[in-house]
Amino acid sequence: MSHDRRQFLYRSLVGVGGIALMDALNGGLQAAPHHPAKAKACIFLTMLGGVSQMDTFDPKPSLEKFDNTVMDWSKEKLTDQVNLFAKPRLVLRSPWKFSKHGQCGMDVSELLPNLATCVDDLSFVKSVVTENGNHPAATFLMNTGLVLPGRPSVGAWVTYGLGSENRNLPGFVVLPDYRALPFSGSQQWGPGFLPASYQGTMMQWKGDPVNDLRPPSELTSEDVNAQMELLRSYNHAYLEKNLTNPDLQGRIDAYELAYRMQTEVPGVLNTDKESAATKEMYGVDEEDTKSFGTRCLMARQLVEKGVRFVQLYTPSQSWDSHTGLIKGHAKNAKEVDKPIAALIKDLKQRGLLDSTLIVWMGEFGRTPDNPAEMRKNAGRDHNTKAMTMFFAGGGIKPGVTVGETDELGWKAVKDIYRMRDVHATILHLMGLNDMRLTYYHAGRNMRLTDTGGTVIKEVVA
Amino acid sequence: MKASWSLAPIALAIAFPIGAADSDEAVFKEKIQPILAANCAACHTGAAAQAGLSVTSLPDLLKGGKRGPAVQPGASKNSLLVQFAKGEQNPRMPVGGKPLPESTINALAAAIDSMQPAKSAAAPSDAYMKWLFAIPTASKAPDVKNTAWIRNPIDAFVLAKLEEKGLAPAPAADKRALLRRVYFDLIGLPPTVEEAEAFQKDTSPDAYERLVDRLLADKRYGERWGRHWLDLVRFAESDGFAIDGERPTAWRYRDYVIRAFNSDKPYDVFIQEQIAGDEMERRGGNGRGMAEASEGPVALGYLRMGPWEADANFDDQLRLDWLNEMTTTTSQVFLGMTVGCARCHDHKYDPIPQRDFYRMQAFFASTRIEDRPAPFLDAEDRLRMRQTLRKYEEDLDALNAEVREMEEILRKKVADNEKFQEILNDKKNTTFTEAERKAYSDLQERSRRMTAESLRFRPVAYSVNEVAPPAVLEIAPTYVLSGGELAAKGDKVEPGFLRCITGKEEKAAIPFSGRYRSGRRRALAEWIASPSHPLTARVMVNRIWQHHFGNGIVRTSSDFGKNGDRPSHPELLDWLATQFIQNKWSIKSMHRLMLTSSAYRQATSHPEAKKYAEADPENRLLWHMNWIRLESEVLRDSMLALSGRLNPEAGGPGMFFSVKDEIAQGFQMFKWYPSDENQQRRRSIYAFQRRSLMMPMMEVFDGANMSESCSRRSVTTVAPQALTLLNGTLTASESKHYAHRVLEIAGDDIDKQVDTAFRLALSRGATEFEKARARQLYAVSANTRRTPEEALTRLATVLFNLNEFLYLE
Repeated sequence: MSHDRRQFLYRSLVGVGGIALMDALNGGLQAAPHHPAKAKACIFLTMLGGVSQMDTFDPKPSLEKFDNTVMDWSKEKLTDQVNLFAKPRLVLRSPWKFSKHGQCGMDVSELLPNLATCVDDLSFVKSVVTENGNHPAATFLMNTGLVLPGRPSVGAWVTYGLGSENRNLPGFVVLPDYRALPFSGSQQWGPGFLPASYQGTMMQWKGDPVNDLRPPSELTSEDVNAQMELLRSYNHAYLEKNLTNPDLQGRIDAYELAYRMQTEVPGVLNTDKESAATKEMYGVDEEDTKSFGTRCLMARQLVEKGVRFVQLYTPSQSWDSHTGLIKGHAKNAKEVDKPIAALIKDLKQRGLLDSTLIVWMGEFGRTPDNPAEMRKNAGRDHNTKAMTMFFAGGGIKPGVTVGETDELGWKAVKDIYRMRDVHATILHLMGLNDMRLTYYHAGRNMRLTDTGGTVIKEVVA
Repeated sequence: MKASWSLAPIALAIAFPIGAADSDEAVFKEKIQPILAANCAACHTGAAAQAGLSVTSLPDLLKGGKRGPAVQPGASKNSLLVQFAKGEQNPRMPVGGKPLPESTINALAAAIDSMQPAKSAAAPSDAYMKWLFAIPTASKAPDVKNTAWIRNPIDAFVLAKLEEKGLAPAPAADKRALLRRVYFDLIGLPPTVEEAEAFQKDTSPDAYERLVDRLLADKRYGERWGRHWLDLVRFAESDGFAIDGERPTAWRYRDYVIRAFNSDKPYDVFIQEQIAGDEMERRGGNGRGMAEASEGPVALGYLRMGPWEADANFDDQLRLDWLNEMTTTTSQVFLGMTVGCARCHDHKYDPIPQRDFYRMQAFFASTRIEDRPAPFLDAEDRLRMRQTLRKYEEDLDALNAEVREMEEILRKKVADNEKFQEILNDKKNTTFTEAERKAYSDLQERSRRMTAESLRFRPVAYSVNEVAPPAVLEIAPTYVLSGGELAAKGDKVEPGFLRCITGKEEKAAIPFSGRYRSGRRRALAEWIASPSHPLTARVMVNRIWQHHFGNGIVRTSSDFGKNGDRPSHPELLDWLATQFIQNKWSIKSMHRLMLTSSAYRQATSHPEAKKYAEADPENRLLWHMNWIRLESEVLRDSMLALSGRLNPEAGGPGMFFSVKDEIAQGFQMFKWYPSDENQQRRRSIYAFQRRSLMMPMMEVFDGANMSESCSRRSVTTVAPQALTLLNGTLTASESKHYAHRVLEIAGDDIDKQVDTAFRLALSRGATEFEKARARQLYAVSANTRRTPEEALTRLATVLFNLNEFLYLE
């Protein structure tokens, strides 16, 4: 069914038949993509706080040359980060060595030794620019295309566009880190103006993955079954008397799904049942990697079961090394490096990498320099002018690098792409056209990419 | 007026045609094309043109690319072409080449300025737009055949359309359905068993009308209908964004709204108080419920309810965001117009040029945020507020003395006083024991918590104030901003009303300016609240209708524009609007009118449903009553009412609900302290509204998103709702209390227990079938050696989950 048609039906039937229909759309019925695509699912690995590009994937030998010298920002009138440049600042060389990896010869720093072994499966964009240097606004931009709250996130759009392949699980699952949830919490994966059924369902990696999944502990399965049986019989009797309300059936179906989820979810999301080798690969039993590693493994399990969009978050501001770059970035890199490499290799060995798109990015990049007063424990500040991100998996051209930054890595100078271009690319790789994926709201047809993005053609196979 | 468009589907977007004057073509050929051909055409030509922008012809430039039109004739400053060439937009063009010489850019700009400015955005053209921007007039109620059905003119308007299509209305709803419908509709709670029985027994002809009057006079009416308004005005008690700081006295605005509904404050006054409450005070004495002196600043909280990025780097941008938000929300809420589209460009669908957005924004240019002193009113329990604050202050003094005392003791252990904090923070340093550190930090946290709590009781309004000459030199000028960008200032504009309504662009008269007030907001408020405004009354009566009937006459109740829905009954809408004004903008008079109509009293089912569904599948003509599902707040409140544990405490600072530890501890910028259990059982409208932490029940059942105006709740059906309602903590606790309550009433007889449980939840006894099925549950329970009370608890959970409980017939 086309999106226009679906939306028309939804809009016209809300309050009468729309709810059952929406349930069918989200759960059972699968919506059609706009064009054939390899990627059926997407795993979005969100590096909150902003990763330093010049310490990971974008080596800048000139930083060595200018290390500890003052940078001249006087010409940067248009920066949105004026406050950062109010004081004298010194260039900071990268504390990490780079070397070339894979057949593509990609530069990777020693911070990410495991990811370095995967570079032939990745394609990098070094020239993404963003619009806002504040964490919350930039995170909203990364997730929803707008710096303000209230818009649907990429995951909600994709699920709206493609539906779900598994009737027993939600289409869009979010796996945050409970040490620090992203700013604005669930608004970052909210449905915005889309129907609420497209919002991300938050799952936890400790304890039950879904809220209220289990009946109260004092109940036996007999109690639960008797209760469910009674509810069924009353609701069915009521339905027979009130056939003019199709929502009644929709709600009966939702209860059956909930009932199935009670048994299905613990079965799907069970990292214990994985082999020792797999667990070791993801690092689920190591202190540093257990949070991200367990969640990467959950992401694979969810994608295997037909979940459309899975988004992982590092803790809020975890990569935000204004000071203490060496310690901070080393810790964060260690937490994600091994799990992400494991995820890519595991998906590959299971034949799932071709149909799963992986996106890795933060909300912005970082600056080549830092205020002089912080020199002792130097770090890097927010940078909206350049960020490095990568794609892997379904439909991409692996081993390519797009875009360049200037001599110091401060600004993207070649093949510059905006966040909405990244969004257009994600949609494209999943078979959706960003101009055609619309939803009518507040007086016009809204899009993830607003007036449209440019697909980053260089990374598309 | 014949409404030929009454059943038309949503109008699809059609771009306005773009034309260019002949003389402009000449300017383009001579002065612009050569520059573009030499510098830009390499990338911006043909099908593969970068950003979709081709520069080969003037129409191409006017059409523009992804960022919008490249040229705005007559306005080089606003033309993207020039902005990119100058580097005002990123990336500076030509990308990868040298910037154009200044002389070349100036030549380009001069050529563009010499062109004919484009005609302003389309004037209202079609019949709908003409109707929309004309003052509503009441047409006579149409003649109908089935005059017996007519209780008031609403019915004549509804029936006329039905008869035109050969349809007949549904039979009247039975008394039970009607009773429940009107209870949930007006007070958001179920009738008690006694109330239901009394209504059943009351056979007098006006029994229903008296019920409506009684419910309208019930204090709980304001708690129900105030919530609808809070949805619209994006009410929240925190800033949102990173810090999401608390707005300690924002609850006073919530209570102001509840009081306004309960006292049937005239809607025109309600509008004026929220937009210009501070400027209205002095007028006073009009005998129509104008604000008490300190209510004005509280009502103004409306203007500040949007999200606020407290740690924004750019003050100017923050202020602009705020002005934009107020402009957009105000026109959506009061006028049903989406002027927000015109922030960046002329509205694509409605006749709102970009200038008009900024002319409207200029009404707010003299406004600044301020927490204003505002003594508590009697209605706010002034005495309690004062006593509570005093108690907090005393306790805080004592507590802070304790903090100082402990600090002194700890400081004695440190040689270098300067290093005290450093050593305290350094967990490896052994100067202090773990216990000392903990005791000190706990004490400090107690003080912080108590301070935060005390702020909620200060006589302060979360409000705005004026910056006006001579208090300042001049009011900051307002500019048209190209693409909405702060850096792209275009023409300066003065406050002015939307020209699609006034018919021309002219500076608004500001009659009430004074020494410390610009009078701008008051001028706007009086214009909006004027009986001759074509939109205000229509928009509000349509909102009231939407909540009563499930759908508005215009279903897109905050978008009456071209892209919105078309009214199903335009004559009825106009008649209601004129009635509203005639009845001195009394909202309760509108309730009475709508609720006592035959249209509202119809059953949800119809004997001809199958046939009729083909003729009017969306029930636009109201051939039966729409099914309505309880909203999240109503659902939660009703569960507490049924278990007998709803705490009816009204007003005052909100309550903090319990959340899972991992969520409560996930916040970096604040701590979340749940209120005591009794407080937590207050009605949902009194739950503290933190933007980053919605009550789980509200979140899963489509609660209002607090970041922008919500004119209508979504109604979704998803599995997590079932999980929450089956397994959640509220269900668990209230099911137990429900069972206990039923046992007390019904005693040991199982059939009587089941019957009582049904009567409480559904206002009817259980059928034989239902009793038989329930006995099976009791049997299973008995097998597992459960008490009857435990079986009853299961039954209570089932009742909370019933479709018959959640949907109103």
